[in-house]
Amino acid sequence: MANKKHNEEKKDIILSIKNASYRYSDAEEDDYALKDISFDFESGKMYAIRGRSGTGKTTLLSLISGLERCTEGEIIFDGKSLKDMNLDKYRSSDIGIVFQSYNLLPFMTASENIILSMDANGLKINNKKEKAIELMAKVGLKEVYADRKVLRLSGGEQQRVAIARSLSYNPKMIIADEPTGNLDKQTESEILDIFKNLAHKENKCIIIVTHSQNVCDAVDVIYDLKKVKN
Amino acid sequence: MFILKNAWISIKRNKGRNILIGIIILIIACACTITLAIKNTAIDLIESYKSSYNQEVTISFDRANMMKDFDPSGAEGRESARERFDNIASYTISDIESFADSEYIESYYYTYAIGLNGNNIEKAEIESNNDIPNGYGHGKEPNMSSTDFTLTGYSSLDAMSEFINGTYTMNEITDNAWEIAFDGNYVFINQELADYNELKLNDKIILEDEDGNTYEFEIIGIFKENEEGTTESMSMFSNSANTIVTNASAVTKITTNNEDLRTTINPTFIIDSYDNVEKLQDEFYEKGLDENFVLQTNEEEATSGISSIKNINSFATTFLTLTLIIGGIVLFVINMINIRERKYEIGVLRTIGISKFKLTMQFVLELVIISFVALILGAGIGAVSSKGISNSLLENEINSSNERTEEIDKNFGGADMKGGMPNRGDRGEMRGRGMPVVEAYDSIDAVVDIKVLLELLGIGLSLVLVSSIASMVSIQRFTPLTILKERS
Repeated sequence: MANKKHNEEKKDIILSIKNASYRYSDAEEDDYALKDISFDFESGKMYAIRGRSGTGKTTLLSLISGLERCTEGEIIFDGKSLKDMNLDKYRSSDIGIVFQSYNLLPFMTASENIILSMDANGLKINNKKEKAIELMAKVGLKEVYADRKVLRLSGGEQQRVAIARSLSYNPKMIIADEPTGNLDKQTESEILDIFKNLAHKENKCIIIVTHSQNVCDAVDVIYDLKKVKN
Repeated sequence: MFILKNAWISIKRNKGRNILIGIIILIIACACTITLAIKNTAIDLIESYKSSYNQEVTISFDRANMMKDFDPSGAEGRESARERFDNIASYTISDIESFADSEYIESYYYTYAIGLNGNNIEKAEIESNNDIPNGYGHGKEPNMSSTDFTLTGYSSLDAMSEFINGTYTMNEITDNAWEIAFDGNYVFINQELADYNELKLNDKIILEDEDGNTYEFEIIGIFKENEEGTTESMSMFSNSANTIVTNASAVTKITTNNEDLRTTINPTFIIDSYDNVEKLQDEFYEKGLDENFVLQTNEEEATSGISSIKNINSFATTFLTLTLIIGGIVLFVINMINIRERKYEIGVLRTIGISKFKLTMQFVLELVIISFVALILGAGIGAVSSKGISNSLLENEINSSNERTEEIDKNFGGADMKGGMPNRGDRGEMRGRGMPVVEAYDSIDAVVDIKVLLELLGIGLSLVLVSSIASMVSIQRFTPLTILKERS
């Protein structure tokens, strides 16, 4: 199931999926959306989870990001099972999530969206706006964008804000769902560079759910998902 | 702090929707304030009425019981009835004191009447027999027809029912009349008797009993009997022309001096509750009250005047309930729409790790802040409107209470007459006879007071919480990823 581009020795595993299965609450007993999945994710690497429609990519993303819990098996983050963790805290402190459609709050400015995430985390910083501007700079956004409503930003700029938001509390892992799906090639490449830097320079684990070949070409490890045969 | 900050941002952002919610809550608050004010005013008035009427019992002759075996057709039957009637044991002052020594009785008063002749005054000429004031006739009536005057002693102001109900009205009175009226040989006489004998205030009159014992009294007041109090019999003088009013102690002194004098005693007991009347009656029988007497209460009189107020109170309750139900439904629906509109926001906030609890609190807090402002405004508008509305609804009751109070004061000599009634506060026992305290309703504070505001706050917050159930339940059920996917 896994297609490893680099056969590096496993070390510093931040997330481990162990025989995870998932069945929707209204599904029949043997109707699994995901069945017996086992993947490991290391810090400092960029991963792609690839698969055709209906293979359970989004479901796996939900499980990894703590939006759903495994029906069977377990997910271990930084040595602790997600079953034993407060998933709200996990999402607001340990991982960052980036979506294809950015999922920013349109009535807020770019910096307010980032500050909101800091507030959700309970981060105690004296000047949150300054920190937000710093994060925006990190993803290639100039200070002038800080006070703009996000709807006035382009798709690529919005996605950069979303990445900056996900970095606001310095998580160990970033999970991205088709982060370049709405972007042109040039912007896609720039966004992927940001992720690469985060993985390789800041030792973060980047997991990207995608079916884009460009993304797959950019990552260190690709995991393929196949449709569950019921 | 994060919740409050987010709630405030959200309130500022959704101005239109929040103004709409605010207006609805404002209308509800306004209606509730007015309704609560009317309700509380009505309740206060009812309580005032109830407290203004002492819960009283009097001893009445049970004529029906007496007559049940009476056979009027034969002489034997009439003789038997007469014998039974003669054998009915009357009650004395000491009996009344014994009756009053009960856990159900708070206080008591009585009138005490005897017949005396004039020594230095003459009876005002009338065609009918000497009269006994209204309300007398309990027990064996003394045969006063052979005497010139009826000397009626009152034990307290409360007992002076003829003045309270307006049968008698004071015409003239000495400066210190009410200070000395209940202690010593002082009397109030009828204007007609005064004119007939050319008597004036501070004159002394001497009365004597059938054995020739004389008793001197000083006149401290002159009253008149109102026309409606006269009988249909042909007479130059009113019924009370030869009634001399004094205090019960003065009469007691006379009866102590001459035990043969026949007396009439009318006691009134102020009880703790009408519910205890039966128990009290049994206790009276055990203490020796003849079973041909029964206890009667003033409950009907006390409650008859408040039926319209009760109706207003009942209407206010119904109106309040309907307002709350309709307002609650409208708010619930607006909240439902609000939640649907903000589904995406909920999804984003949930995804970045804001807990369901914090999110629910944020939504509730938004509504609480809007409601609080609307409630304050509504209470203010309601307070301004409620006085007029309450007073116009209760106008009749307030006016009649005012008139009644003024009338009673006037009967006793009035505030503008020298020696008039002492302040009401000094005669706390004068609560009886339908004198509700109505002055309070002249003030707006008496209508929308802290009680109303607290009730309004309680109602408002309950309404907000109930209508927030929509958001609470929805937030618990939303799956963030589904929301975000739907939007995508």
